[in-house]
Amino acid sequence: MIARIGIVGTGVAGWMAALALTRALPRTEVFIIATEGPDHSLGPFGPAEASLPDFPYWLADHGVDERELLHAAHGSFSLGTACSGWAGEVDWFLPFGTIGAPLATTAFHQLAARLRAIGQPVRLADFSLAAIAAASGRFVRPSEDPRSILSSYGYGLHLDRAGLAETLRAATGLRPLGSFRAFADDEVELQDGSRLTADLWLDCSGPAALLAGDSGWESWAEWLPCNRVVENWNPAEGIPPPYCHAGAFEAGWQRTVPLVGGQSGALFYSSAHLPEQPNAIPIVQGHRPRAWTGKVIALGAAAALVEPLHGWNLAFLQNALARLLALLPAAPSGPEPAEYNRLTAEEADRVRDFAILHYKTNGRAGEPLWDHARTAPVPETLQHKLDLYASRGRVPLYDGELFEAEDWIAVLDGQGIRPRRHDALADAIPEEALAQHFGRIRSLILDAVRAMPHHGATLRAEGLIA
Amino acid sequence: MTAPAPIRQIVIVGGGTAGWMAAAALSRLVPTGVSVTLVESEQISTVGVGEATIPPIRNFNALLGLDENDFLAKTQGTIKLGIEFLDWTREGHRYVHPFGEFGFDIEGVKFHQIWRKLHEEGRAREIDDYNVCALAMTAGRYQPPVQDPGSILSRMAYAYQFDASLYARYLRTYAEERGVVRIEGKVAHVPLRATDGFIEAVVLEGDRRIEGELFVDCTGFRALLIEQALHTGWESWSHWLQCDRAVAVTSASPGPEITPFTRSTAHKAGWQWRIPLQHRVGNGHVYCSADISDDEARETLLANLDGAPLRDPFILKFEAGRRKRAWEKNCIALGLSSGFLEPLESTSIHMIQAGIHKLMALLPDTGFSPVERDEFNRLTDTQMEQVRDFIILHYHANERRDGDLWRRVREMAIPESLERKLALFRGRGRFFRYEDELFAESSWIAVLLGQGVIPAGWDPLVDGLDEDKLATSLSRIHEMFARAARAMPRHEEWLARNAPARNDA
Repeated sequence: MIARIGIVGTGVAGWMAALALTRALPRTEVFIIATEGPDHSLGPFGPAEASLPDFPYWLADHGVDERELLHAAHGSFSLGTACSGWAGEVDWFLPFGTIGAPLATTAFHQLAARLRAIGQPVRLADFSLAAIAAASGRFVRPSEDPRSILSSYGYGLHLDRAGLAETLRAATGLRPLGSFRAFADDEVELQDGSRLTADLWLDCSGPAALLAGDSGWESWAEWLPCNRVVENWNPAEGIPPPYCHAGAFEAGWQRTVPLVGGQSGALFYSSAHLPEQPNAIPIVQGHRPRAWTGKVIALGAAAALVEPLHGWNLAFLQNALARLLALLPAAPSGPEPAEYNRLTAEEADRVRDFAILHYKTNGRAGEPLWDHARTAPVPETLQHKLDLYASRGRVPLYDGELFEAEDWIAVLDGQGIRPRRHDALADAIPEEALAQHFGRIRSLILDAVRAMPHHGATLRAEGLIA
Repeated sequence: MTAPAPIRQIVIVGGGTAGWMAAAALSRLVPTGVSVTLVESEQISTVGVGEATIPPIRNFNALLGLDENDFLAKTQGTIKLGIEFLDWTREGHRYVHPFGEFGFDIEGVKFHQIWRKLHEEGRAREIDDYNVCALAMTAGRYQPPVQDPGSILSRMAYAYQFDASLYARYLRTYAEERGVVRIEGKVAHVPLRATDGFIEAVVLEGDRRIEGELFVDCTGFRALLIEQALHTGWESWSHWLQCDRAVAVTSASPGPEITPFTRSTAHKAGWQWRIPLQHRVGNGHVYCSADISDDEARETLLANLDGAPLRDPFILKFEAGRRKRAWEKNCIALGLSSGFLEPLESTSIHMIQAGIHKLMALLPDTGFSPVERDEFNRLTDTQMEQVRDFIILHYHANERRDGDLWRRVREMAIPESLERKLALFRGRGRFFRYEDELFAESSWIAVLLGQGVIPAGWDPLVDGLDEDKLATSLSRIHEMFARAARAMPRHEEWLARNAPARNDA
């Protein structure tokens, strides 16, 4: 029986775990132990987090008021990620929402490929409401009416880490029992010398992995070359744009997460391609294949560390917590830890592939880091995806995908990868019908965006800016 | 770089259910300038064992734009809400695998977890009583589901039972109207290209030669192209699925009532299917020839009919397993030529449909890059293995005392993938569905519980909910579902009103 669960780490990961556990297991004693230093529990990726569109649902399910959180965390809304410098000259956008619409069961990107084949240029983002709204700085919460085009997108949140952690803490009603000093023999020693036992320990201490550190780390450095991060914060006046930015440069990339009052930044670079920068934090991207070993389960950045090109680190933790709760309580010799590790590793591998995709398909010719990334071999699962897409415009999905086929396609297309052939069924549609279909979607989107309030107006209406 | 030319000539060999389903789907390519030819011989009979289906068949029909009532009328079709399993778990036991879901999740907790706890404490009925399809099928009633998620009837799912040869005929009309060309003839030999071993053409008796770029092998067990010509190889699963024969017969309907479900009754050395159509009943006894003789199998079949036999029983021989690669060179095997799993969960037609779907999605060009082939084979392998595991479950989890077959399958080592599922479910009723898995959680739960795999405990989240309230919710759910089922018309009345059989197909 699992009667006591201890959490080590009072960052975002620790408080998210505490909130999920206290709500789901009211009869289990859950306690939390504080750790020193900056909150790197989800990775040292800058003082703010950017979420995917499922995070607002997670908050609602866990009784966290979104407006109060936005207020406490200088938050703003996100419609996706703008990527520049990755494909060479062309910028592209990964929207939180659908792109176009199928016609006669044929997928939109296949229709687009047909139009391109007859000489008409098509930019996928022109057919995404989220992308157009983001580009014009507009935002309103989506509609729940499935017939409305305003239901064709979702939204993520940009939140500063400290405000997010504090809001989650308040929702749990817990206080840390003390500060961490050491872990040995399944017991935690606190700074005051006292010792605590638990039936299960959750290691939410970030890359330091204070409890799980000995259980083995698999490095992905051969595919993901950035091994240093510099976190920064730039105060800024004005309305934050409703999207994240990932800008590639010669030796890595810069992440920008806009908040009310400033921009959270993280500079990712490869130390082999750029002189060491002040305040650089070394990282080893990879994961812990046996995240659950014995009584200890590593969560967040203690379990997997992948540069957050799109805000998957929150989603990864959400899924890990759901998986863990589905498997509790587990007998020590039962099948649960192995199943947890298998599913978690699968998901980590898929996120890894999604990250490597950005490097493998880069268009920065003549720069050593990028030339190498383009030519070096990638994991077989990713190579199969790339081959099938290059051939037919299809994306095979595996178990544990965090991103959907449409997201993969948006990135592949944005990076300039064009399938050699499109779906044969697209040829069965008359050109005129195709043109009408595209025209109709485009004008519906433009009309809807024109009628949308600006991001600033929405923030103001919700009392988030003056 | 110029891309290789698109495929312009597709040749389907074999005109049974698989052949005509493929022809009907591929006819959508005809307007783009692709020729689709189907070669079949009237001298070769088709195997009509796959007369019952599962709900995704409706997607296939919808893709073709078939009118449901017209299709039912012309195939002697009936509605199927699930499968009734008699004597499987142990002699005298009954359970059902209904389509559609059990109850409703309450506060994010899975219904079967709540049921498990309340049932333990004597505060819940049997789980079938919380499934509208199970209640309707037991009552012999049917009404089409509705889309409105607020309605109980949206919890329903259904499939069909039909005469597979009439379905093939129906699709033949459809395909020919859309430009598929049928050629009568028997394949004499299959010449291969000297350079790469690809199929060049099929040559019919009388030396007519039919050239093609892509060949679809729908020749059933004979696997004329994929095996006889290309020697692709076979992977046997007979160590898990030991039945290797079936004796089949049609019988007269026992009365006006037409059950909206398929029945499967376990016998000493196998099991017997009963599939009701509008005009008759299809029956078959699947058995293991190492345990009983053909004569004994035939006698068992005839002794367990509920109507007079309409013909002499005939015997089919098979082996559970799969072709090593369903797509080899320029040949794609669909249906029995690609693999065989006994029709215990009515998956034969579904596997054809899934193959067609993949073929349409991965249609190669004349360059035949291995990428599409590998993806096709990867997906086929996964789908076959998942269905295989589900079928093995029915055998493995048994408590029958008669017959050595049941002891052997109970004691045998099962695939690791199934072992994992069983271990997790036995603990606390946990279930993780895999990507693209055909049978949903509710199907696994129905069969796991039905076969006596009862979780030792339940999700601790259930303990956080007020038990009295849960008990009230459960009885309310049952009452709602039972009332909804009672209000439905009888299945045979619904058929008579909406889709009475017509033989003008």
